[in-house]
Amino acid sequence: MKTTSLKLSALAMIITGALMQNAQAGEDLFGYVKGAESLPKDAVELYQKVTVRDGKSIGSYQGIDYETELEYGYSDKFSVSASAKFMSLDAKGLSVDGYLPGDKNIGFKTSGAELGMAYMFLSPAKDDLGLQASLSLDYDWVDKHSGYDKDTLSLEMGLQTQKYMLEGELVWVGNMAVEATYADRAAINNLPEDFDWPTDPEMEIELKFGTGLSYRFAPNWFVSAEVLYETEFETEVGQERWSWFAGPSLHYGSANWWATLTWLPQLAGGGEQFDGQDTDLHLIEKTEQEIRLKVAFNF
Amino acid sequence: MSDNLFNNSLWFIPMALVAAPAVAADYLSIPQAQQLLFSSQAQFIERPTLFNGDAKDEIKHKAGTRQRQDQQPIWRVEENGEFRGWFIVDDVIGKHEYITYAVGISPEGEVLGMEVLSYRETHGGQVREQAWRDQFKGKHLGQPFKLDEDVSNISGATLSCRNLLDGVKRLLTIQQLYLAKDA
Repeated sequence: MKTTSLKLSALAMIITGALMQNAQAGEDLFGYVKGAESLPKDAVELYQKVTVRDGKSIGSYQGIDYETELEYGYSDKFSVSASAKFMSLDAKGLSVDGYLPGDKNIGFKTSGAELGMAYMFLSPAKDDLGLQASLSLDYDWVDKHSGYDKDTLSLEMGLQTQKYMLEGELVWVGNMAVEATYADRAAINNLPEDFDWPTDPEMEIELKFGTGLSYRFAPNWFVSAEVLYETEFETEVGQERWSWFAGPSLHYGSANWWATLTWLPQLAGGGEQFDGQDTDLHLIEKTEQEIRLKVAFNF
Repeated sequence: MSDNLFNNSLWFIPMALVAAPAVAADYLSIPQAQQLLFSSQAQFIERPTLFNGDAKDEIKHKAGTRQRQDQQPIWRVEENGEFRGWFIVDDVIGKHEYITYAVGISPEGEVLGMEVLSYRETHGGQVREQAWRDQFKGKHLGQPFKLDEDVSNISGATLSCRNLLDGVKRLLTIQQLYLAKDA
């Protein structure tokens, strides 16, 4: 880990203060961006999330991430959460120097765990603009991109804003976050000749910005659109990647459960690319599209 | 759909089995709410009101909240031939579904009482409790109509509470603009 990376991560954390999401808050109208409304005291919500990451322009690639999360409202403004993560991966005809040594097939395995907390400073339904801060600590022991062993520890801080309009029929949210990651790859035997597979620990900083608009077109039903911009910086290469994703969601919510289905294609991307890639998107760590289904139950 | 995706989606099945049962939704009929807000001798004379675009704009301007419906169910209430006030049924937006409620309004434009006819939201069933609804009694348009100032908030149901408070203000506005002159 380079000293410059550490300084950069510390600076980013201080400047950003308290940012983003991933393991908190109540009903999700969107697949990725989050609202700013916390669970009330003693409320419990159980989430199951499935994300399909599909397509890298050549060969075939489909990674599926599973996350089971339990969130508890410790107070009317503060909630805590814990989640277990699982994955599967099917990659063929694709070798990406430094990232994907070759074909890989994983049926289903545990891959990580995450702890999160969120504090709501302003209520979107009571104040002019809702404001929530979140913090999550994520530990993964499998690299979801390649399926190979990799210890990854990430700290993500986020800010979520939310505004109700038309008495709640129209909802706007805005998110920003910074994630600092320490990653250490395990060595792999019998790598292809001259294949680059660094095993020195590395430090990365990722910035995330997102916004979304959701409209309730019938009782219980919302249709939404969201836009995400993500970029990552790493000591050796500076800006390693950036990408724009945007797509629609359909949400159904009732008193006891809700579900959200989201399709999120990558519209533009840049940074590092791999040999043979036939688009301008960033497809080393990202894919051409993601599809996410979230189902949650309230207790 | 890949085999992985299909097989592992079975993960959702046990999740569905632990889903809590649905809560009750409709609590009171309109005649029941009428009996709760006025005396058993009261007579209810239907006076449904149709609002055109200008009227809806005027209500929005004065109440600060949209008048969504064109048709508002309103009853003039009399007892032994004497005018007792108005009984109005209304819907406001909850987080998931509409909340149906009824308000009794005195001839002077004060809230006599409020009853919740249906509530289907995840949190905030306390809106049906007498103590919370009693906070609306005596409210008139000269008051602030701010959550946690006029009426206490219920955590997890803030949008429902705010919309009910704004809804009552809108019904008082309708009474002042269109019903007071008919009293």
